[in-house]
Amino acid sequence: MKARTRLSVLALASAVAASGCVRGCTSSRPPIHLNPSMDNQPKVRPQTASLFFSDGASMRQPVPGTVPIGGLKEDTAFFTGKGADEQFVAAIPVPVDATVLERGRQRYVIYCQPCHDARGDGKGILFQRGNVPTASFHQERLLAYPDGQIFDVITNGQGLMAGYRWPIPPADRWAIVAYVRDLQQKRSASATGVAADTERASESERATRAVRGNGAPASERGGGSGGAKPPGKSQ
Amino acid sequence: MPPVTPTYWRSLAQLEERAESRAFIEREFPEGASELPEGITRRDMMMLLGASLSLAGLAGCRRPVEEIVPYVTAPEEIVPGIPRYYATTMPFRRSAYGLIVESHEGRPTKVEGNPSHPSTLGASSTRVQASVLGLYDPDRSQSITLRGERKSWSDLVTAWGSLSEAHASDGGASLGILSESFSSPTLARLATELRARYPKLQWATYDAVSDENRLAGLRQATGRDVDLMLRFDRASVILALDADPLLTDPEMIRHARGFADGRRAGATGGVMNRLYAVEGVYSLTGAMADHRLRLESRQIALFVSALAARLAPPVGGGASVPGPDVPGLDARWIDALAKDLLANRGKGLIVAGERQPPAVHAAVCALNNHLGNTGKTVSYFETKDAALPSASSLASLVAAMKAGTIKTLVVLGGNPVFDAPADLDFASAMAKVPQSIALGHSVDETAVKAAWHVPLAHYLESWGDARAVGGTLSVVQPLILPLFGGRSPVEMLGLMVGGQDRPGYDIVRETWNPILGEAEFDKKWNRVLHDGFLAGSELPEVVPALTGQPLAELGRLPAADAGGGLEVVFLPSSSLHDGRFANDGWLQELPDPLTKLTWDNPALVSPKTAESLGVANEDWVRLEYAGRSLELPVWLLPGMSDGVVALTLGYGRSHAGRIGSGVGFDAFKVRSSSAPGFASGARLTRLARRYALSATQEHGSMEGRPVVHESTLTELRSKSAAGEKSAEGAHGAGPPHFSLWKEHTYDKGHQWGMTIDLNACIGCNACMVACQSENNVPVVGKAQVAKGREMQWLRVDRYFSGDPGGNPEMVFQPVPCMHCEDAPCEQVCPVAATVHDGQGLNVMVYNRCIGTRYCSNNCPYKVRRFNFFNFTKDTPDILKLAMNPDVTVRARGVMEKCTYCTQRINRVKIDAKLAGRELRDGDVKTACQQACPASAIEFGDLRDESSRVVKAKADPRNYSLLEELNTKPRTTYLAKVRNPNPDLQHAPGDAGTRHPA
Repeated sequence: MKARTRLSVLALASAVAASGCVRGCTSSRPPIHLNPSMDNQPKVRPQTASLFFSDGASMRQPVPGTVPIGGLKEDTAFFTGKGADEQFVAAIPVPVDATVLERGRQRYVIYCQPCHDARGDGKGILFQRGNVPTASFHQERLLAYPDGQIFDVITNGQGLMAGYRWPIPPADRWAIVAYVRDLQQKRSASATGVAADTERASESERATRAVRGNGAPASERGGGSGGAKPPGKSQ
Repeated sequence: MPPVTPTYWRSLAQLEERAESRAFIEREFPEGASELPEGITRRDMMMLLGASLSLAGLAGCRRPVEEIVPYVTAPEEIVPGIPRYYATTMPFRRSAYGLIVESHEGRPTKVEGNPSHPSTLGASSTRVQASVLGLYDPDRSQSITLRGERKSWSDLVTAWGSLSEAHASDGGASLGILSESFSSPTLARLATELRARYPKLQWATYDAVSDENRLAGLRQATGRDVDLMLRFDRASVILALDADPLLTDPEMIRHARGFADGRRAGATGGVMNRLYAVEGVYSLTGAMADHRLRLESRQIALFVSALAARLAPPVGGGASVPGPDVPGLDARWIDALAKDLLANRGKGLIVAGERQPPAVHAAVCALNNHLGNTGKTVSYFETKDAALPSASSLASLVAAMKAGTIKTLVVLGGNPVFDAPADLDFASAMAKVPQSIALGHSVDETAVKAAWHVPLAHYLESWGDARAVGGTLSVVQPLILPLFGGRSPVEMLGLMVGGQDRPGYDIVRETWNPILGEAEFDKKWNRVLHDGFLAGSELPEVVPALTGQPLAELGRLPAADAGGGLEVVFLPSSSLHDGRFANDGWLQELPDPLTKLTWDNPALVSPKTAESLGVANEDWVRLEYAGRSLELPVWLLPGMSDGVVALTLGYGRSHAGRIGSGVGFDAFKVRSSSAPGFASGARLTRLARRYALSATQEHGSMEGRPVVHESTLTELRSKSAAGEKSAEGAHGAGPPHFSLWKEHTYDKGHQWGMTIDLNACIGCNACMVACQSENNVPVVGKAQVAKGREMQWLRVDRYFSGDPGGNPEMVFQPVPCMHCEDAPCEQVCPVAATVHDGQGLNVMVYNRCIGTRYCSNNCPYKVRRFNFFNFTKDTPDILKLAMNPDVTVRARGVMEKCTYCTQRINRVKIDAKLAGRELRDGDVKTACQQACPASAIEFGDLRDESSRVVKAKADPRNYSLLEELNTKPRTTYLAKVRNPNPDLQHAPGDAGTRHPA
């Protein structure tokens, strides 16, 4: 009896010893996990690997041509930015009010601002750090775009820009279009009046960058942190 | 037979039957636990266990490395973790079930009925619920094969190219096609085009379980090909003749809904329908009947003649013989029935079973017509876009195959080697055909005999279309690309017609082009895909004129040969149907609604027959009939006609897969083309062996306490007039309850509750499979079921009442967790693993559970299920896809039970919060409630005065199960109400089913 007890304790101790380091040292192997307690279940959770499918992913593409419930996109203008004639719609197919604009501003700050910057000049953080060429909204070509085309670019991407159809639902995309239009409008409305201001601002930006060496001007930071003051007003 | 991999579904493949259960159990216990030497103390054991555990840790108890695998190209609008829903259609024989399928990141996981589709009305059935497991069946065939060798689809396309040229030269005279019956515009179009290309081809349509007799009967009566649609919701008096419209009929969902509506209406003050059943084998319809008459199938024709004589003036002589010549039948019964039917002209409904000969169906059609029921309770439609089943077409195809005139045989689905009539000997006929191509779900009996085998695409992975009952057009929309590169019959026929490999999507759209019209086709097509069906596509009802003299024909049927031994009756399996679902573990383990047997299909006989034959339950017998014999066990089913032995089809498959192969006994071996339904002349001999069967009912025993409350309509009416609570009686008069416990108030937030209307419940088990699918309930195998370890959270108890040797009544009672407010389970849990939440749910915290099973011991309703083994340990990767990601997959040693679908409650609450609104009544549907074809289950917030569940609980029939225990269950029942004919109250013996209590 006594001997068996001792033996068991020894077995336990040697097990712990043989399993390697107890605490404090690094290992490339995953930690020992004695009580699995349903931590890993034989079911498929989102974004997990699956050995069943040849691409190793458990998430599948919907079958082309299928229509989910609530996924009937009969209003082509709303879902694609193109009318029945396959041409881009000239105007946003949803009513635009202050709520939509505010929603558009929020989404813009989240998804667009890193490249396009708060003013839409294409001088966002990625441009500043990675020199990623980004289009300015205030160039003639983009000013001439119909609303539907801007929507299409957000949806499917253009050039280096990836499509944002997945993270941004269509209504939010239109809200962003409305906000971008608002940015453009404000700029052109005050084009003459604030041209000098803008230049000053750019100069001060450069100065700030030179001194602090880390890009983003204070005003854009305000916008980036989801702050209350819309970037347009900072000018 | 595929190799049995021990790591595959170990709990099933190894457990079912084969006496290895002992070895399995020893392997399943942790090392050292099951092989303890004698006389060891508990303390020693704990230490040894500890050592073995930490040693196991050395071997591989490291936390598995998890990888995040996002979409490379993320599809629009899929948010990981948020399910999407698609409308689609499940074709089944000539029916089409409109469905809504839940898809998690592009993987279908759960099937529900489509509320706006006329065939399902939002409900479903066992086979619909279980169909999703068929998609993820690990034994599905994975590749095209030519004599067992892997080939590609392009090889087949090439091979067909040369075959098609050869056949085109002789007009297809040596080409044979065998299909199952279908009702599909695309398949019908392709079939027509194929016939145009090969005018001489032989096309056979065969269903092992078919409604061929009914179609033939209607053709006899009306002279045209029509199909019928039964409208139980409009019927006040229903007569089922050897029929089971509430369970095995493909349209059972609609029937059950209509029937239950009629029952419910009666219980709440309206007109209650009255169901008469005349049958030899106890069916679910018989169990629901207010009056059930035991009569062998062979006597039904005589019964119809006798009834016709009372209902109709004799037409063309013949059938004017009055009733009493039906042996053993009290004339008063049939008189009362005839009176009831005549008093309810236009509101009566007579339905004959698929087994009955065409003459009976023709006569029933004439009687329905005579009673003015046509167009009211029974509607007729042209059979459009359909291939109608015809056993004779199979017989002539087999004759041609045997004669060697068929050079190429294409089997477009179905399993004729298994289920063709035994006298045709399809397998040897197939051996004479040089080239055969068989589409099949798995490498089944037919596939191993065929040269080419093509994996059949599941309906959830293929494009197709179907016409539902009444003609509604629906599209079969895939939820996922074929897992194993399977092809649909549409694509196979498309190849044969056009010689090219065309995607099913294009072929189906081509059919729908003229249906929807060129203009704005895409828009209309997408609308159909979105809705699941084409609105307004119902076929016009036809009112067929009677051309023949069906009642006179009936008189000319050969007299039943009553003296020739036992009558053998072939029943479709309520779960496996004709065997096509044999590899579906959920369905195999689903207890038969009547016998409560799992994993087997014994011969069923009545207790009196058993007594006269000297056999008892589980005795091994030899059944001899028409020169063939079958050995199988026997099971006693009270309420069957004496002198009848019933065989259930669909079991005993040799090549079903790891789940279904070798389970049960193949009744097709004794089923001939001359008598596919029933026949006299069977002989049953007891052999020396015994065979263990696994039934679930004993384990659900309520120890004789009156748990199902029942009354008659007249009693209910008189009581409600007197303001009494009808559910009282058994224990209502006791002293007032007081509680030992501090009572909770439950006056905040949502307080969930459920009612189950026993008056509507037909006992079909759809809820059980729905629960299994929703809640990742494991399948445990026959041996574990025999030990009472089945895991279904919801069980349907069946009770007999009355004389077991005679004609007892049957009642059903679904029993999920009662979610008692003073739950006995919670009071005994040492680790607080089962507790109450603020919404009144009795919840299980799986991680806390240490498996003492005190809770199960203390549960008066016995609704708790314990994971004796790691039933899901070696789940193959493909079956992981079938699991509901929102529900924990439990491990060994953990107790589990009904949660009121807490994951659904939470999902809906989150959705409502995001949408900024309050929960509405009906937002939360539990899986059982949603599946129930009879709408017997209501679920909702008890604090919402306007909710349906509160209204149901206000019904005077409402009662709690074992109320005297004062557990205050949240799940309550509404008492069953029968509606007996007052004229039959005192009819003796078999004639009336009411027995003095």
